[in-house]
Amino acid sequence: MDDLPLQKIAISGPTLSSLLQRVSSSPADADGLLFGHVLPLAPSSLSDDPSSASAAADSGSSASASAAGALVATVTSFLCPGCPLSFSDPLGRLLLCHSQHDRLIGWFSSRRRSRLQPSMRDFNVAASLASDPSLSFPIAASASASAGGDGFSPRVFLLFSTPPLDSAIHTHEYRAFQFRTATETFEPRSVDVVNIGPRFRGHYGNFSPNSSFPWLACDLRGSSMMQEDGKGERLSEMRRAAKCQDEIDLIAEDFPAAKLSRLVGPEASNYTAGLEEMYKKMLTRVDTLAGLVEASSAQVLEMEQHNSKLRAEVAGIKRVVDG
Amino acid sequence: MASDCFPPFIAAQLNYLVHQSTLGVKVENVWSGSKSYPGVLDRFTLLIPYCLDYIKWDVLYNAEFPLCPPDVIFAPEDEHFHPFRLRSREGGNEMEGAKNSLSDWNHKDPTRLCALIQELRDEYTNYQRRRAGEVDDDRLTFEISTILSREGIEMHISSGLDKPQEVKFAVPLVDMNINKMVHGCPWRHLQKIHLQVVYPVGKKYVSAASAPRLKLVSTPELKALFSVDDVKLPSWVDGMCMAEYLPHLEESLQGQIMEAVALIDIRRHFIEALAPVFGRPVEADPVFCRKATVLIASGVFTFLVHLFIPTQFPRQQPALMLQSSQHFNSQGAPIKSSLLTDYPWSPRWDASQMVERILEFLVDESLNFKRYCNEAQLQP
Repeated sequence: MDDLPLQKIAISGPTLSSLLQRVSSSPADADGLLFGHVLPLAPSSLSDDPSSASAAADSGSSASASAAGALVATVTSFLCPGCPLSFSDPLGRLLLCHSQHDRLIGWFSSRRRSRLQPSMRDFNVAASLASDPSLSFPIAASASASAGGDGFSPRVFLLFSTPPLDSAIHTHEYRAFQFRTATETFEPRSVDVVNIGPRFRGHYGNFSPNSSFPWLACDLRGSSMMQEDGKGERLSEMRRAAKCQDEIDLIAEDFPAAKLSRLVGPEASNYTAGLEEMYKKMLTRVDTLAGLVEASSAQVLEMEQHNSKLRAEVAGIKRVVDG
Repeated sequence: MASDCFPPFIAAQLNYLVHQSTLGVKVENVWSGSKSYPGVLDRFTLLIPYCLDYIKWDVLYNAEFPLCPPDVIFAPEDEHFHPFRLRSREGGNEMEGAKNSLSDWNHKDPTRLCALIQELRDEYTNYQRRRAGEVDDDRLTFEISTILSREGIEMHISSGLDKPQEVKFAVPLVDMNINKMVHGCPWRHLQKIHLQVVYPVGKKYVSAASAPRLKLVSTPELKALFSVDDVKLPSWVDGMCMAEYLPHLEESLQGQIMEAVALIDIRRHFIEALAPVFGRPVEADPVFCRKATVLIASGVFTFLVHLFIPTQFPRQQPALMLQSSQHFNSQGAPIKSSLLTDYPWSPRWDASQMVERILEFLVDESLNFKRYCNEAQLQP
């Protein structure tokens, strides 16, 4: 019984734009997972019809509210490895590790220059996600009220595309769907892009990510090929980071909070020099850290380009382009 | 980017599909979905023959991910067509029934795309058949139940916003191998004749059901031997059903095809009769004997005569076209006459007499044609 209709799908402007940026910078088609939560629609105080608003508010168990079709799915974060078939096989079978799908509400697929219509693979993947009982999770508000009553399995589907014909204007198109298991169809849903600003202050809490940091090992399987294992490097990186932290702590220890009291009063001028020294050291550290991040990003990029070159070789693209 | 073309692995699969398979698939549109290599094509629209019409499917590869099998987007009106649907086992997330052309995809195997399209088309046939079976119309339900056993029958439901719903049938007719009947047959594909039957989906409570729309359709190459447009369809009596109608039609068609095959020899005979009068033909169609070209000299004026022999020969006379070998138009193409069919003719003459009469006609006509050529050449 977790096939409740969604009223709309909400996503914050920054999340949507970073999602668009991610899929448009990937070399080919890409797909990935969407995380977030599903909530019964909060009764709107702006409603013209007081009876319906109060009815929704009065209903203690949200089951009745959601049965009335007032569920909203909110996308708070996403994971996009930047390649097609990142979490399923060509038949639509899922390749997810089970500890890794906390708050998975759906998925997205991006296909450059194609019709904005779900494909054969989209359907099969969506059907797999929706029918996997282990992926179902309780709807946020009803978790306490009616234990296990209403669940929601990942049914949100966002489809991104660019127009099939070349055009001078760079265009992104997207459509949102909810997959319905009863009818086995994609039902179009409206996307509510929530921007930040006073009008949207009510939504402030909605967009804090609530999924744990997504797993990174998703790409180590064979089909996405030629990904070299960077585990060893990552470990040493972590060790280095830990060492840096120790050093920062060391610096801070030189200046315990108790000393702060001396900042006030006549002797304050003597301490500014010490304080400045500490800030300088910390800035140097931050600078070094930033440098490390930059260097590792460059390495990742280099690796990506290398992979892409290998893939092009397998596909025989080089011969086509050069010949 | 040098030129737009497919990477080798896609080119091999697409070529195999278009040129090696019997499906008769056409490629309508090709484009690239790659960001880094915008000139490398990896997606295309296929036109797949189905139920005497074409269905359009977009096939999307990823040139940069050669190991990924392609994805397919079906036509917008087929939103309920879901092939390769996985069924989940009770109480688990293990999927069953996952054995199709997409499992263990091998991008180096050129036959894979063809196998995929073939399998999807079979699924589509079943899907349309299921949909036609669900239509709430008693007559249609009856027709489908009686005709379903016919091999190769295809159905299609069409409905538009402003069009009434219709069920289209493509019924393969005449269970004979026409290819084998023609000596030295050049056809690569098996020639077939289909009867297209279009039923309007009846509104309930309408007692008098109208006759379906009927049309004979043949593979295009068959025209060289036999034109289905010349066939007069038996009339559809009220209250008739397909199972009653088809045997008569098939019987008469069979007879007409046999006759058409026999007519090849009569045409061959005619072409052979050209030789004593006009000399050996410069060119002749040896298989269907539909075309022959002879060279004629009238004084110094030499010209070719093309004879186009209709399938209805000798009932219909050949059409003649004269082509000068000395006069050319401003584009450098030889000057030709229009098709001439208005000359004395009788199907009862024997072949040599037919040739004699054509010669007589040409003796007169050559003068007209020479004048015509001279005038045409003088014009700037």
